[in-house]
Amino acid sequence: MAAPRSKKSGITTLGIATLVVAAAWQDAPTKPSDGETTRWCYRPLTRPAVPEGSARQPIDRFIDARLARDGLQPMPAADRGELLRRLHYDLVGLPPTPEEVAAFVADEHPLAYERKVDELLASPQYGVHQARRWLDLVRWAETDSYERDRNKDGAWHYRDFVVDAMNEDMPFDRFVTLQLAGDEVRDASRRDRIATGFLHLGIRDDEPTDPEQAVYDDLDGMADTTGRVFLGISMGCARCHDHKKDPLPSEDYYRFLAFFENLAPYKVGGGNSITPRNFVQTETVDEGPDGNHARIANFERERAELRERIARRAARVTSSATALKMTSALREGLVSDHSRIETGDETGLTVHGATVHEDTRGPYLHFDGLDDWARIPRKVQDDFTIAFRFRTEHAASGAGFHRWHHGDGLVDGEVPGIVQDFGTSILAGGRISAGCGDPEISIVSQPGYDDGAWHEVAFTRERASGRIALYLDGALCAEAIASKAALTTPQELRLGRLAGTNHFFDGDLGDVRIYDRVLTDREITMLTLGTDASTEVEALVEASDGAEAARALRADVQAWTRVTKPEVKTMTFLCAKERRGELAKSYVRIRGNVHSKGKQVEPGFPRMLGDSAMPEIVPAQRSSGRRLALAKWICSDDNPLTARVIANRIWQQHFGRGIVRTPNEFGKLGELPTHPKLLDWLATELRTSGWSLKQLRRTILLSDAYRRSSRAASSQLAKDPQNDAFWRFDPRRLTAEEIRDSILAINGTIDLRLGGPSVYPTMPAEVLATSSRPEAAWGTSSERDAARRSLYIFVKRSLLMPFLTAFDLADTDATCPVRFVTTQPTQALTMLNSDFLHEEAGKFARRLEQEAETLEDRLRRGLSLVMQRPVKQREVERARTLYTSLVHDHALTDALALERVCLVFLNLNEFIYLD
Amino acid sequence: MEQPRGSFCGRTRREFLWQTAGGFGALPLVDLLGRDGMSLGMRATDDDAPFANPLAPKEPRFPAKAKSVIFLFMYGGPSHVDTFDYKPALYPLDGKTIDIKTKGRGGTKSQGRVVGPKWKFQQYGECGKWVSDLFPHLGKQVDKMAFLHSLYAESPLHGSAMLMMNSGRILSGAPSLGSWVNYGLGSMNENLPGYVVMLDETGGPISGAKNWSSGYMPAVYQGTVLRGKGSPILDLARPDGLSEAQQRRLLDAMKGFNQEHSAQRSDNSELLARIASYELAYKMQRHAPEAVDWQSEDPKTLELYGVDVPETHEFGRKCLLARRLVERGVRFVQIYSGGNHNDANWDAHGDLEKNHNYHAGRTDKPIAALLTDLERRGLLDETIVVWGGEFGRQPTAEYAEGTGRDHNSAGFTMWLAGGGIRGGTSVGATDELGNEAIERRMHVKHLHATILYQLGLDPNDLTYFYAGLDQKLVGVQGADVIPEIV
Repeated sequence: MAAPRSKKSGITTLGIATLVVAAAWQDAPTKPSDGETTRWCYRPLTRPAVPEGSARQPIDRFIDARLARDGLQPMPAADRGELLRRLHYDLVGLPPTPEEVAAFVADEHPLAYERKVDELLASPQYGVHQARRWLDLVRWAETDSYERDRNKDGAWHYRDFVVDAMNEDMPFDRFVTLQLAGDEVRDASRRDRIATGFLHLGIRDDEPTDPEQAVYDDLDGMADTTGRVFLGISMGCARCHDHKKDPLPSEDYYRFLAFFENLAPYKVGGGNSITPRNFVQTETVDEGPDGNHARIANFERERAELRERIARRAARVTSSATALKMTSALREGLVSDHSRIETGDETGLTVHGATVHEDTRGPYLHFDGLDDWARIPRKVQDDFTIAFRFRTEHAASGAGFHRWHHGDGLVDGEVPGIVQDFGTSILAGGRISAGCGDPEISIVSQPGYDDGAWHEVAFTRERASGRIALYLDGALCAEAIASKAALTTPQELRLGRLAGTNHFFDGDLGDVRIYDRVLTDREITMLTLGTDASTEVEALVEASDGAEAARALRADVQAWTRVTKPEVKTMTFLCAKERRGELAKSYVRIRGNVHSKGKQVEPGFPRMLGDSAMPEIVPAQRSSGRRLALAKWICSDDNPLTARVIANRIWQQHFGRGIVRTPNEFGKLGELPTHPKLLDWLATELRTSGWSLKQLRRTILLSDAYRRSSRAASSQLAKDPQNDAFWRFDPRRLTAEEIRDSILAINGTIDLRLGGPSVYPTMPAEVLATSSRPEAAWGTSSERDAARRSLYIFVKRSLLMPFLTAFDLADTDATCPVRFVTTQPTQALTMLNSDFLHEEAGKFARRLEQEAETLEDRLRRGLSLVMQRPVKQREVERARTLYTSLVHDHALTDALALERVCLVFLNLNEFIYLD
Repeated sequence: MEQPRGSFCGRTRREFLWQTAGGFGALPLVDLLGRDGMSLGMRATDDDAPFANPLAPKEPRFPAKAKSVIFLFMYGGPSHVDTFDYKPALYPLDGKTIDIKTKGRGGTKSQGRVVGPKWKFQQYGECGKWVSDLFPHLGKQVDKMAFLHSLYAESPLHGSAMLMMNSGRILSGAPSLGSWVNYGLGSMNENLPGYVVMLDETGGPISGAKNWSSGYMPAVYQGTVLRGKGSPILDLARPDGLSEAQQRRLLDAMKGFNQEHSAQRSDNSELLARIASYELAYKMQRHAPEAVDWQSEDPKTLELYGVDVPETHEFGRKCLLARRLVERGVRFVQIYSGGNHNDANWDAHGDLEKNHNYHAGRTDKPIAALLTDLERRGLLDETIVVWGGEFGRQPTAEYAEGTGRDHNSAGFTMWLAGGGIRGGTSVGATDELGNEAIERRMHVKHLHATILYQLGLDPNDLTYFYAGLDQKLVGVQGADVIPEIV
């Protein structure tokens, strides 16, 4: 139940100090409270006094005090080899080399261990390993799940952000803030915005039966993950009813949800579509002196020069009379002219919401990108040219796809399904796309046409040949051979909207002209250059200024069609984008049903954590500022949970289990801390260090408790079988990624490069066959890429690497605080029979052949790589006996026998388990 | 080794429920049936430590009427009004546009052009069940079958509807029915996976492995895909050039190293469990190929299943395999009829006749044979056979032309047979056009509840503690079994 409090007295601090029962707050397993007291984790975080004792480290004083009380003897320190191996896996997730082991064991310097800790903390591989641990928590995957299991475009930038943040030791409060509100912080950099990819990692149904409910399921995923990961409290159940155990009424859940509710929904409208522009950003990136900016500047200068030369030559001969004549030439076959934006029966134009504006070239329509559109009759079906001008500076839909019907509609007749339709749209990254159906063919321009300037589009189609062509600003961008059918499916054409998916265009559109013939290249040039580019003017120039001048003019006119916009380098990433216009209103949704609105609520913090602190929400330029307010509260000194929760996770990452064994659940459904004071000490230590995770790890790793042997004395085991008191170090199995990465490290093929798009190691054909589109389900990577660390393997929710899932990869659909550790025969089958293991064992054998001359040396070298300790002669003999038997009894070649021995090495318990 | 008192597999019970980790690895959560303790019975070889197989058999809560399930998944959604839900009123309306509220892929509509059933129906069996001419063989089996005519699901769209039929929820991330069954009961044959999935040769269903995922449970409970060609199970077959004797030699050498390693770590039973798991894997390699060796069946049986005919070869072989698997103790077998997209499965949006003739033609005889074969071997009593798709289809056409029907989750038919299910019964009804369940409406979770109940599990008490909740297949609010058919 909620702690009683008095609003009159103005108590706004978290928890009520007087309710703290001293007896329950000793550093011993806390007894479940009787319901009258505040649960331990909601009480204020204060720095506990360090117990007296002989240990150097405060951590050990806390632990020793408990050991003494329980009458337990700690195990002695682990031997140096074991310790090095432990450190390596805990910090970088990779084995030490035999040379590193030998050097460390021989290093007698008093600070040898500390130096090793610092060396590994500084390794770039540290970030890779710690990032994977973080990704477990945030339900990392690069696809959406469900029928199409769509890719999340550019999700990998978020993964790289996490790696970098770990390597840079980004203060944890900053790390939290950027993930929730990197777009709302002051002077937000691109990387800050990339961090908000955190919000978009969940499962998303692109064809839900109830789209509005689905959007709220997505928001719930964000809020619930935020609650569990940053605060260690589960709020999900309060979506439908008041929390049964913790004082969290449903209303508080919806107040918390409101912080996220102004985010633009991942899906607008029905059909099997999502709305990437609401969460995917594509931006041009400049790469130094020869970068985009320079190339675009060149392009624009070149065009300006051409235009000027053409105009100068033409001006000498043209008069208004001839100009008029030429313009009428471009009217031939013009069946639909909407340049004057006249609605009514005559033109057939109907406008829905779009507003009319005017510039020097005449009127145009403005579309707000939300629900504005217009429509005109479809008067063409065989040969045609669709011409118009547009401008926008807003991101469009369809990232990663180059199909016209994935974009935001410009002048469009898309009809879902395999039908005879056609249209034009703008795609993410500012690419213009055009195409037609049956068979579905799209052509696409270079990116970057979302630059806020006016651009001319012409899309031509010739039925007899099937040729379609796309021109931007008079220049041919793309062409293809497509359907030769009459394109009669669409009843009408829509302006500013793609039918079926409701992808609305956000920008201006004008001079829509539709011809029932294919305009010539020259005519299309005339759409941008006017009559200056006509053959008539060229003839006049020849008559007046001679053949040379006419040739020069013609060359310039032809050059115009070839000066296409340079390919600009762009990057696409997930990031937070909020709704435009009015702020989203928030309501309690009765029983979690989005359609059943209850009381209206405002963003607010869970009252069990100090109700009257109202969030200070400062609207930012493009967002409500709500998430930043939430992040500030999560990271504030008054919040007792955040520091405890992350300190517990860091402890868990080194000791195998948290001081609270339920790291995502500190509330009443969770376990109590075995060492509450130690946890608070660690949490305050973290805060005072400026939230440095590296420093916290360093403190933990330098404790005696961390350095203990993992062996068990039976007397201690009987007293404390679960090692509640940390009298020894708990041994553990390597994780799926650690096993795979270690195999690659041991055979010497691992590729340790950091960052970049994910890779696709070979997926067994049997597993590919489980996909509904086996041929399109997975990508390919070079051998070098395929040997990258497991963090970089593409995570596709419906198609995971079988090797990794066999060893208990984190569930991808929800936050995973603790991985399963199962032991099952299918793991053995994978390790004994899979192509992967046999290939790697082969590489391992080749490495040994290269690095050692004699069989004995090869076997010794192999064992030392796998065991990461000095090898005993007895062990070498055992390997030799096997080898000899394989050669003699099983008639294997020397090379194959060594491969088989290597396979055995990779299967050893000693390799898979860590002391 | 003896477990310390007061602990659960070396951990507190609660922590165990949360983590299911450490100690013994993924142990069976035997606690789920309200009992404490562990099943340690299984030994891989005499000299090894007990291998605590997470799939060790567990006693059901109630006396079980069935031991196994064969779920014949008609992926894509067969049309109920053209198969088992006889609607005479629909024939004369063919081609007429009527007012009718439907919800499918094409959205919500309030009018539609009726497509009359494209097949004739006749009565079969003692119960006089009307069955369409799509299923001449199955028609003869109706006295074994219980028809549920008034099922409804929460989504008329494949992605979420498949998840609902397989896992009870339209959201991704929950364990599938087969996972729940294995979690609740374990497997009766340690040499075979407890949950086997056989896919269509055109590919998996949409969402692939999500359909047989163990969701938030450990991967040990997920479905194992059994293939028709090559190694039946991924990595079951030894690579070329690696003989059984050679592998035995490798395993022995491995054991030598491992035993020396674990001797100094005698408290760590996980190490011994891992040694034992290799022995179990070795045995699986021997036994599993025998289990899937359908060619060893006598020619008459092959003929019965239609394995000798190209049209029915594939599905016939799978039905035969399903029988061999349940015979050997596999708990849950799921066979997909149809895969990939569009007309490669029952999703008849365009030409209904062509589509359903094709898919029914490939499955009718094999399924009838499965029922016959199970019965004559005395297996039908302990095996529940389930037939159906993720939803049914609408009585009206989807497009302006053609016979294709859109999805319909508002009312559809499935049938069950065997495993104590009362044959020759029909429960519930859709309206006279088959558009919506109106009489004795049953959510998919009632089907799930009934299957669990027949297996001796209490659907409202089979729980898995996750994310702060005792999760159930049938949802927080639970579900009753369908009393008319048990």
